[in-house]
Amino acid sequence: MYCVKCGVRLPEGEESCPLCGTPVWNPEGETPVRAYPDSMPSHYREADLPGALVMTVLCLIAEAVLLTVCLKLYGEQSWGGYAVLGVLLFYIVAVLPRWFRHPKGEIFVPVDHAAAALYVLYVCVRTGGSWFMSFALPVLACSCLLSTAMICLLKYVRRGRLYIFGGFLILLGGFTVLVEFLEHISFGTVMFQWSLYSLSGFVIAGLVLLVTALIPPLRHELEKRFFI
Amino acid sequence: MHRNWYRLDTAALIFPAIARLDWCNAFRVSATLDEDIDPVLLQQATDSLRRRFPSFFVTLHQGFFWCYLEESDRQVRVREDYAYPLTFMSSRELKQNCMRVLYYRNRIAVEFFHSLTDGRGGCVFLCSLTARYLELKYGIRIPREGMVRDPESPPPPEELEDSFFRNAAATAAGRKEEASFRLHGTKEAEGFKHLTTGVVETAALLDAAHAYGVSVTALLAGVMAKSIMEMQALERQGRRLRPVKITLPVDLRRLYGSETLRNFSLVLNVGADPRYGDYSLEELCRVIWHQIGAGATRQNMAGMIAANVQPQQSILLRLAPAFIKHAVMDLVYRNSGESGGSLNISNLGSVRLPEPMQAHVQRMEFIIGPQRSYPNNCSVLSCGGRTYINMIRNIRESELERRFFSKLVEMGIAVEIESNRRTLSSAVPQEHGRNTAGQSKPGEGGCSEA
Repeated sequence: MYCVKCGVRLPEGEESCPLCGTPVWNPEGETPVRAYPDSMPSHYREADLPGALVMTVLCLIAEAVLLTVCLKLYGEQSWGGYAVLGVLLFYIVAVLPRWFRHPKGEIFVPVDHAAAALYVLYVCVRTGGSWFMSFALPVLACSCLLSTAMICLLKYVRRGRLYIFGGFLILLGGFTVLVEFLEHISFGTVMFQWSLYSLSGFVIAGLVLLVTALIPPLRHELEKRFFI
Repeated sequence: MHRNWYRLDTAALIFPAIARLDWCNAFRVSATLDEDIDPVLLQQATDSLRRRFPSFFVTLHQGFFWCYLEESDRQVRVREDYAYPLTFMSSRELKQNCMRVLYYRNRIAVEFFHSLTDGRGGCVFLCSLTARYLELKYGIRIPREGMVRDPESPPPPEELEDSFFRNAAATAAGRKEEASFRLHGTKEAEGFKHLTTGVVETAALLDAAHAYGVSVTALLAGVMAKSIMEMQALERQGRRLRPVKITLPVDLRRLYGSETLRNFSLVLNVGADPRYGDYSLEELCRVIWHQIGAGATRQNMAGMIAANVQPQQSILLRLAPAFIKHAVMDLVYRNSGESGGSLNISNLGSVRLPEPMQAHVQRMEFIIGPQRSYPNNCSVLSCGGRTYINMIRNIRESELERRFFSKLVEMGIAVEIESNRRTLSSAVPQEHGRNTAGQSKPGEGGCSEA
C-alpha cells in the first residue's frame, strides 16, 4: 500500500499518510500495530495557564461582588475589607504559583508571608489593636525565615537530610517558645504554660534525628527497616 | 558505604549546563525481538549488567566546582514505554537514574542522558542487555563478540576513560561558524514528540550513494540539506537566505583506536550556502562528502578536541563554582553550539549481531531527541540488511519529513513509513499550524486522523 502523493510505502491498514496526510482510499488489512502505547508521561509539568486564568477571573468576580455588596448594603465600615483582602490573600497563595511551570518555593513562601503580614496588619488597624509590631510581625518573620531556610536547604543541599530535619525540629520547638513569649508581651497571658511541652517534644524528636545522622550503622539499619 | 564516582568526560560536561526545565539532551537505542518482552526477565537482565557497566548505573550530582556521576545502588526499574520516545528527563530523575530501560510489546528500549555515553556506547549496552535477556529467556549462549560484552567480567579500565584528554592536539581549532538556517513550526503540546521512521533496504541506499560516488551519510545529509534549502527558499522567497548546514556526529573511536564506553564523539557541520547559487542534489552530496573527508581526519578532530579540553585546564575556570561554569557554557553553547547547524543526522552505521542473537532480533533503532533550539533531528542505524531512518520533531508540521522521504523515493529507493501518531483522544487540532515553508497544511503530520 503506497501514498499516492509521496510515493512511500505505508503499513497495511493505515488510514492516511503520516507525511502528507493524504487519505488512503482503500485501506486493506487490519489496523496496524501501534509503534507506541497511548500513555503519556506523568512527570511532564506545564504551567496550568487555563486553570490560573479561570481562577483569576473567579477571584476578580468575587472581589467585584464583595465590594459592590458591601459598599451598597453596609457602607465603608463593614466586613468588606476583610473579605476583599482575604480573596487577595487566597489569590497570592493558591493561584499565583499556577502561572509558573516550576514555581520556586524559596520565592513564593516569602511572598505568601508578606501577603499574610499585610492582611494581619489590616486586621490590626481595623480592630484598633497594637499587637502587630509586637506579636504578628515577629511571628510571621520567624515563620518565613524558618520555612524558607528549610526549603532552600532541602533543595540545594544534597546530603545531610537528617541534620536538616533534626535542626529544623529543634528550631520549631524554639519557635513555639518565642510565640508564647511574644503572646505574653503583647496580650499579658501567663508565660510558658504550653510552649515548654512542645519545646521538649520537638527537641527530643530533633535530637533523635541528629543522633541517627551521627551514627551511620544506626541510620542504615533504620533506613533498611523503614524505607517507603 | 563507599561509592565510586566519575568525573564527567569532556563532551559530557556541557549537557547538565545546557539542560532546561523542559529539555535535556538524551537519546534512545532499541531492539525489536520476535516475541513479546517478559518484563521480569528484562529486569533480571538489566540488574545483571550492573557489574559490567558501572558507569551506566549512576546518578548525576552537582558538586561545588563540577558535576559528577556517582554509582547508585538504586535499581533501574524496567517499565512500559510512553506514547512517544525520549520523554523529558528531569533533574530530579537524573538524581535517581541517568538511563531508562523500557519495553513495549516486543521492543526493548534504553534511553540515556547524554552525559553517560554516546550512541556507540549506548548500542553496546543495548546489545549486551538484549543478549543477556535472550540467554535468560531461551537458555542459549550468545557469543561475546562485536558489541556484546560479558556481564560476568569486570570492566576494563579503557572502557571508563575520558579519551578526549589523551588525543587533544597542542593547538585548538577555532569554533566560529556562521549561523545557519533555522527550522521552526508550531510547538506540540505536552512535550509530545513525533517520530517518523523510514525503513529502507540498505543495499538500495548503498547503490544510490555509490551512483553519486559518496557515502550513505553524505547521501542522507545531501538529501536533507536539499529539502531544507527548498523550504528556506519557499519561506524567504530568495531573500535573507542563510547557509544550510547539517550537523554530523563523528565517532572518534575508529580514528583514535579508543575502547571507551563514555562519550567520545564530536560534531562536524557540513552543507552549502544557497546565496552562492543553486545546488543540484548530486552536487550537494558530493560537496558534503568532500567536507566530511576533509573534516573527519585525526588531525582536524584533534584540534577540535583541544578546543574542548583546553578550557578545562585553565586554573581560573577550574576554580569557578559550577553555577558560573554552567552559565558560561550555556552562553557559549547558545552562541556557537547549535547555531552552526540546521539539523543533526546521527548515523550509527551498521550493527552486526552474533548469529544466535540475530535470529531473534527483528530490528534495531537509534533515536536522538530534538535539539534545544531546533525542532527536527534525524538518526540512522542499519541492522539485518535494512536501514532505519528516524526523524523526530517536537512541532506539528511534517513538511521536512515529507520532502526528505519523497526525495529518496524519487531516487528509486523504496521507503516504508511508520509513525507514532497520536490517538484521537490526545490529538490536538492543527488547523492553525504553519510549517516552515509558510504553507498551511491542515491534516498533515501526527494529528491527521483527528
